[in-house]
Amino acid sequence: MGVIKIENLVRDYGGGKGVYDVSFQVNQGEAFGFLGPNGAGKTTTIRHLMGFLKPESGKCTICGLDCWKERDKVQAVLGYLPGEISFFDDMSGGEYLKFIGEYRKNGAKTRKEELLERFELDPGSRIKKMSKGMKQKLGIVAAFMHDPDILILDEPTSGLDPLMQSRFVELVAEEKKRGKTVLMSSHMFEEVERTCDRIGIIRKGRMVAIDSAGALHERHTRSYTVTLENEAAARAFAADFGGICNGVHVTVAARQSLEEIFMNYYGGEKHDEHGTVPA
Amino acid sequence: MTNMALYRHEMKGSVKLLIIFGAIITMYVSIIISMYDPEMMKMLDSFAEAMPELMASVGMKADAADLLGFMVSYLYGFILLVFPMLFCILRGNALIAKYVDKGSVVSLVAAPVKRRTIAVTQMEVLVSGIVLLILYATILELICAESGFPGELEVTELFKLNGGLLCLHLFIGGICFLASCLFSDVKYSVASGAGIPAFMYVLQMLANAGGSAEKAKYFTFFTLFNPDGILAGESSAAAGAIVLFAGAAVLYVLGIMVFERKDLHI
Repeated sequence: MGVIKIENLVRDYGGGKGVYDVSFQVNQGEAFGFLGPNGAGKTTTIRHLMGFLKPESGKCTICGLDCWKERDKVQAVLGYLPGEISFFDDMSGGEYLKFIGEYRKNGAKTRKEELLERFELDPGSRIKKMSKGMKQKLGIVAAFMHDPDILILDEPTSGLDPLMQSRFVELVAEEKKRGKTVLMSSHMFEEVERTCDRIGIIRKGRMVAIDSAGALHERHTRSYTVTLENEAAARAFAADFGGICNGVHVTVAARQSLEEIFMNYYGGEKHDEHGTVPA
Repeated sequence: MTNMALYRHEMKGSVKLLIIFGAIITMYVSIIISMYDPEMMKMLDSFAEAMPELMASVGMKADAADLLGFMVSYLYGFILLVFPMLFCILRGNALIAKYVDKGSVVSLVAAPVKRRTIAVTQMEVLVSGIVLLILYATILELICAESGFPGELEVTELFKLNGGLLCLHLFIGGICFLASCLFSDVKYSVASGAGIPAFMYVLQMLANAGGSAEKAKYFTFFTLFNPDGILAGESSAAAGAIVLFAGAAVLYVLGIMVFERKDLHI
């Protein structure tokens, strides 16, 4: 059953910008990776799910509720981490979390302390003086502290150091085990590969692939059979390249990394080693 | 319909401005009321006779008979119009448009709180600030008048006058609030939220200066607040205040409806 459902969503900003006929769904207890380069339409799609934007045509629903018309009901079960974080600057981190708790009427049940500890965040400092990474951590705490059933995370690890990134990945894995549904956008292959069951790739506002992470790999596995002069050479070759030896024939499977698969859909632009698409 | 956590947070944000404008009003009101003195009145009248246009443009006219008339001449033409208006402009813009422009409205809309509740709460914050300012001015006027000139002030007349003043400022607040809800860019929100009331005030000054410019009074809503008319018990002055109040209600409702329906690119 699809908890998050997007059906034929259209939003045309003109000049080729926007999202066109985007459809996909995220099932209960699943982590869905939403991949695409900057400006592909990830955030626009998410804004529709959040009820910030009204669809020009098409429909978004969460738990069967319309994301625009019934957004306040949808928000009750939702945790959201925005891609660009902007809080009330005049508050400290702790004051902000307290305010959000009261504003949302979260009640006494909160995971705030546990999350602050997990991400080693000092809530005492002023938000104005916080670094990008600290703000990101604060956003993560605010998104998870009311223990929502559904998490929508827009580029959640941006600004986090590698240690905190892996803590975040652990957190998402734990939440998934507890039956939470996660939609996570990213332009980083690695974090999506590590956390998500299914992956959707968006390009220029259109979905170009939606499949399980495994199937995406499978589809892009190529195998080659190499014939060598003698069995000894074949064995050595098989050992070197991880192939399967069969007499003088060695079968080698070349599995593309998700990044390479991604590039297939993007028309082979050269990537830098961080896995980001040059603008 | 009100989110108390948001209301408290925003009222805290109003405190600083309320104190500043409260202090300015305290200074002017206490000084001007203490200046009331029939002898002094003659001197001011002579000023008004010597340069009638200049004095009239800021609402100061000759022949202000009693204490209340004196206050109308010297407080209700400039000080009690402009400073609460500045409060409306600054707060009105900050309550919605600034948050939308900066993106911090995300924290407010990404929560199980209806947009209508958010807008209504912000409107209540603005209206509370306006009411507090006018209430403070009223109490201050009473204290200054009673301590300086016991028994000279007609209290019910003062209440009527400030009731009209409140309607005017609620209307100005409505313009600022609607502008704030309408525009996602602080630039445009300030341009219209501050520009319209300021332009209208300039027209009012022109109209006060008299002569052919007096026709300008038909193009400014400040004409609807007529202190002399209220004191004289004219029904047209009461009607003006009612129109301002009704207009304010329409503007706030429009603002809330706009905010409920608008796309937020945040």
